[in-house]
Amino acid sequence: MAPSASAPNSPPPCATETADNDLQPFFVLHKASSQKCYKKSGGSGKTRRRIELSPSLLSNGENAEIENADEFHYHQNVNMRIEAFHAVWSEIEETIKDVLRDINMNTFKAIYHWVNESFNTISTSERLNFLEATRSFPIVTNVASKQLFTGLVLTKNMEFVDDQMTFKELGMHLKSKGCHVANLSSLDFSAKNGIGGCLKSLFREFLLVTLDAVDISVLTTWYRKQQNCDSAMVIIISDMEQCHGSILSDFILMLSEWVLKVPVILIMGVTTTPDALRGILPSNVIQHLCPRKFILGSPSERMNAIVEAVLVKKCSSFSIGYEVAVFMRNYFFTQDGTITSFIRALKIACAQHFSLEPLSFLLQRFAVDDNNEGLQCEMHGISAEMILKQAFDLPSYRINKLGEQSMESLVRGFSELKNLQRHWSIVVLCLYEAGKWSRICLLDLICEALDPELFKLRVSSPNGFHNNSQASHIEPSMCKQYHRPQKGGFIRQAVRSVRDLPAVQLSKLLKVWEKITVDVPQIHEKVMELLSLLKFEEGKTSKEDMDEISKSARRYASRNHLNIAKVSRVVNDKAARLLESMVRNHMEPVECAPFHEIVCFKSIDKLKGALIGDPRRRVQVDLLQFQDIIQCGCCRTCNSLSPSMHDSSIMYSLAQEHGDLINLHDWYQSFKSVCLCSSNKGKHGSKYSPSPKKRKVVAGIAKPSEASIQARFCRAVTELKIVGLLQMPSKRRPDFVQRLAFGT
Amino acid sequence: MSKEEDSPVIRRTTRSSSSAPVKSNETEIKKNAVTYSPTINDLAFGEDKLSFNDLLSSFPGRHIQIKEIMRILGPQDCPMFPQFIYGGASTGKTSVVLQIFRHLNRPFVYASCRTCYSQRILFECILNQLLLHKKNAANGYSSAKRCEKPSDFVNFLREAVANVTNSLKGNLGELGGSKLGGGPNGSMLYLIFDNLELVREWDKSSCILPFLFNLSNILKMPEVGFIFISNTSPDTYYSNIGYLEPIPVYFPEYTEEDLRQIFLRSQSNRKLYSSFLDIVLRPFCRITRKVDELAAAFSSLFQKYCEPLSDLTSVPNEEMKRKLFSHFQPHIATSLNEIFWILSEPFLEVEPRSETMQKGITRKLEGDQEFAEMDFHMSTSAKYLLISAFLASRNPATLDASLFDSTGGSESRKRKRKASEKSMEQKEVAEQESLLKGPGTFPLERLLAIFQCITSVLDGYLDEEEHANDLLKVGRGDGLMSDVLLQLSSLCNANFIIKGGSCPLETTTRYRSTISEDMALKIARSLKFPLANYLYRR
Repeated sequence: MAPSASAPNSPPPCATETADNDLQPFFVLHKASSQKCYKKSGGSGKTRRRIELSPSLLSNGENAEIENADEFHYHQNVNMRIEAFHAVWSEIEETIKDVLRDINMNTFKAIYHWVNESFNTISTSERLNFLEATRSFPIVTNVASKQLFTGLVLTKNMEFVDDQMTFKELGMHLKSKGCHVANLSSLDFSAKNGIGGCLKSLFREFLLVTLDAVDISVLTTWYRKQQNCDSAMVIIISDMEQCHGSILSDFILMLSEWVLKVPVILIMGVTTTPDALRGILPSNVIQHLCPRKFILGSPSERMNAIVEAVLVKKCSSFSIGYEVAVFMRNYFFTQDGTITSFIRALKIACAQHFSLEPLSFLLQRFAVDDNNEGLQCEMHGISAEMILKQAFDLPSYRINKLGEQSMESLVRGFSELKNLQRHWSIVVLCLYEAGKWSRICLLDLICEALDPELFKLRVSSPNGFHNNSQASHIEPSMCKQYHRPQKGGFIRQAVRSVRDLPAVQLSKLLKVWEKITVDVPQIHEKVMELLSLLKFEEGKTSKEDMDEISKSARRYASRNHLNIAKVSRVVNDKAARLLESMVRNHMEPVECAPFHEIVCFKSIDKLKGALIGDPRRRVQVDLLQFQDIIQCGCCRTCNSLSPSMHDSSIMYSLAQEHGDLINLHDWYQSFKSVCLCSSNKGKHGSKYSPSPKKRKVVAGIAKPSEASIQARFCRAVTELKIVGLLQMPSKRRPDFVQRLAFGT
Repeated sequence: MSKEEDSPVIRRTTRSSSSAPVKSNETEIKKNAVTYSPTINDLAFGEDKLSFNDLLSSFPGRHIQIKEIMRILGPQDCPMFPQFIYGGASTGKTSVVLQIFRHLNRPFVYASCRTCYSQRILFECILNQLLLHKKNAANGYSSAKRCEKPSDFVNFLREAVANVTNSLKGNLGELGGSKLGGGPNGSMLYLIFDNLELVREWDKSSCILPFLFNLSNILKMPEVGFIFISNTSPDTYYSNIGYLEPIPVYFPEYTEEDLRQIFLRSQSNRKLYSSFLDIVLRPFCRITRKVDELAAAFSSLFQKYCEPLSDLTSVPNEEMKRKLFSHFQPHIATSLNEIFWILSEPFLEVEPRSETMQKGITRKLEGDQEFAEMDFHMSTSAKYLLISAFLASRNPATLDASLFDSTGGSESRKRKRKASEKSMEQKEVAEQESLLKGPGTFPLERLLAIFQCITSVLDGYLDEEEHANDLLKVGRGDGLMSDVLLQLSSLCNANFIIKGGSCPLETTTRYRSTISEDMALKIARSLKFPLANYLYRR
């Protein structure tokens, strides 16, 4: 119940020194976040004062000169970090865009092919001249000619946000191939605007003019005139489920009547199943559709591709820690399930990283330079000592205790870190390729691969790869664990699947590995060895095969089968063992390395706070602890309720004393008593409340009238209702309001 | 008004020059399309004429209706009473009327109330045709006249009709009454209103319908004839406002024999198709007799029927027919219930199939099969929310306590035992009724309560099963509640939950889940949630 416990930091002591009655929302907002945040804020006078006053690292026992120098560097640093953030993020964003486009490209091509095909069927079935086409009456030659070619594009995701861009890109793709394209959304099919609004936006898309009163005959003249005749007209409705059914069916009927005159091809995005169409449209409309199904990449496919490009192949060297990865995975699978929010989480993580980590600006350089020369030269005026000091202050360095603190060792540390990351990603990719056969999600794999404790376990017990986690994970419980990921589950599963692979797929897999591991000779060699072994065995067996067949001895053939199985089993075993050794020796999580703080984002609480947010809790906390926001002198002195407080705050504090239901009368009485207690010590109070609004309330020496208190009461109740904390009295209990939010 | 004066002049000039583009071949028209302007001749079909015998033969089963309509239309330039043609969908009303006018070659104006979806568009569409105005880029796609009110429409219409009939008469005079020029026959003008039943939905005050029916009376011009075409019978239109009742012509449903004639008409290999019709026509006729529905169904069925045939032009003999029938028979029953086939892109289809092949290898993975069952992605919390909505819709609210609370359950059971036989019976009847009513509605609070119960139960369940696993536990628990309302709105968008009421401030909005039990079970299976335990069954 007590919200104060979960409230953020208590107000810092400096607050009393600032002008007492200033309202400083910005200031307060900064204070609400944790101490480290001060580094982010710019150089305004107030923040600087705060730095001096707040018990930060800088102020313990150091003199003012150093402080000044620090501050100078700090500002330099901030600019560079912002720059680095923009560079890194834009790179990541570009990569994501490319990845998503590539995923859909095949489907887009298929759609274009189908559009072309259907356009040809329409245009060959009836050749119309201009006069025939622009007449107002329909062409009545063929009954079946009213069919409307419809492409149903399944997005495979209930949430639509991810696919807004997809449909725009589909439109662009078709446009680039010469089709006329109109992109409509469910907003155009709302009951409010009716069929007229829908046609209006259709014409805006095709004709690029906004018309007052439109009918479809305009489209025919437009299509027949100019040189528009020889390409299809594609109408893309991006979210079919959200359209108003009757408007959509009117639209389809109208189009189907005119389809011979205007060769329209419809493309509809379907987020759930094609059966949803049956739920929206009546059967007499559906029979006019001639549907074709297309499937876009499913969210988990897209997710795998994005994760592979951004987090494994590291388009930038920014990476995330174990906990953050797990949080983001869970957020994706249980909470939101959209790529959009995953990317947003990634962006927040990236931004937080650059704002929290003073040395993060090195990341940009880290990615670009191979030999780390950039580190040695001057960093745009940042002294090397500063960097060294901060770098060797990092906890990961202090734990590992690496020799002397010099630039050389820093550079060495960096290149080691880089090497480690490269190896890590190669091993993860190999695992992913292996796990593809049993459809392991890359995100799961990464979560496991990033876990530093698991790594330590693996290293400490090199033989115990199979039973490195709980004893319960022995064979019988194997299948149970598969659908519930457990520690060490996915990697083991991937290795296992290598053991079970048939020879053909194994050789495919090895070839992929060969490509992946090209940069790391020690692994590459082994993969090559395996490949040659496999080829050799294959050649041998096939030769034997020939011989056996020529002898036409069935008995031998069956033995031969066994033989093949045995051989491939050996190779499988070797491959699996190779993978195991790779995991053990080369897959060191980034969090185990010194200086990893510079490239790796770990503070999960920050991300959680930024991503999930908890508006209702925030509202409640703010109502009860408004003093933190409204920095007035009048209310903060006394802990009890004072009349100078905001009405809603008073009301909500009073409501805390009630249970589920609040008796309106009691509530009003207590509110009134709080209000009236002001006038008892009215003169006393006016001294404390210079703010004009409060003064107006307090300065009236006469008691506030009953009517005004009632009005204030009503207003406060309404405000609380709008915020969503209350439910107004129902018919059954006319004098009670119901509380909707409890605790925080 | 000045425009009004201009238009005949334009018409006259164009008429003299128009004969070339109209008669020229298609390519030329394409070239001249931009400069082409319509003439009075466009009001009739004008092109190759249809003889009366051709007209009759192209509409099997409609001979009586055609003759009836022709009788009401009367000879050339003869005033007529308004005509009301009605009959079920896809019975050939529009086609018959249009082909009759093609045969007669009389000038007419056609307006479909589907294309002209509002009063204003309808009026302007008719006026545009009468004034020979085409919307194009040059005039900014605007109409010839802006006309919203019925009274304006009457005035404009009167002027326009007078102009048109004058020029028609002039036309006739010039050509000496002969039909050489391909110009329309007679100086009488017909207005055809199609899909009239849609007008009823335009405005609730319904002043436009009586106005349309009464238009001939208001105009008082004998040279204008009115034809209304509608899906529904005249009884559904008449109000007590007095106007001349139009003469009804009814188009009955086609008989099976008619349908056979219609489908045989356009076939190249009639023998083969008739053997196909022998099989399918009877069962399908029991379901629908709409030509368009049947045509859609038959076109794909016929392809299946012909699959074993190598030569589509061959005439099947008895043995062949039997063979085809045995091959074809299994398809009939399935397609009877289905009007909606979704084809998928052939090469995309291949991929999942190969995946299933691979799945055979890694059969042990149960998780995979689950993924295969759900054919779209939903986040876990959305799934739980959907299940709780399903439960809230299915179970009576009074049972919530007993289902989700152990103490509440035992209490109610006791009470049940005490209840008398009669009250039990009554209760059963009430329950049956509620089942018949379909999914019930529920307030948001109830949904959230059930959601919380389900997820907390599941958390405990998971805890027992895998207490060692902290991978999944991070961020569960408290996190699951955070954006439930967002999830709810996206479920509403996907039409899984329907929202009643509109005001967002009103907390008494009620919801209703529309998913089928199969789907709910599927979702529950993917979560390993024991849905059956929570479903109330009588």
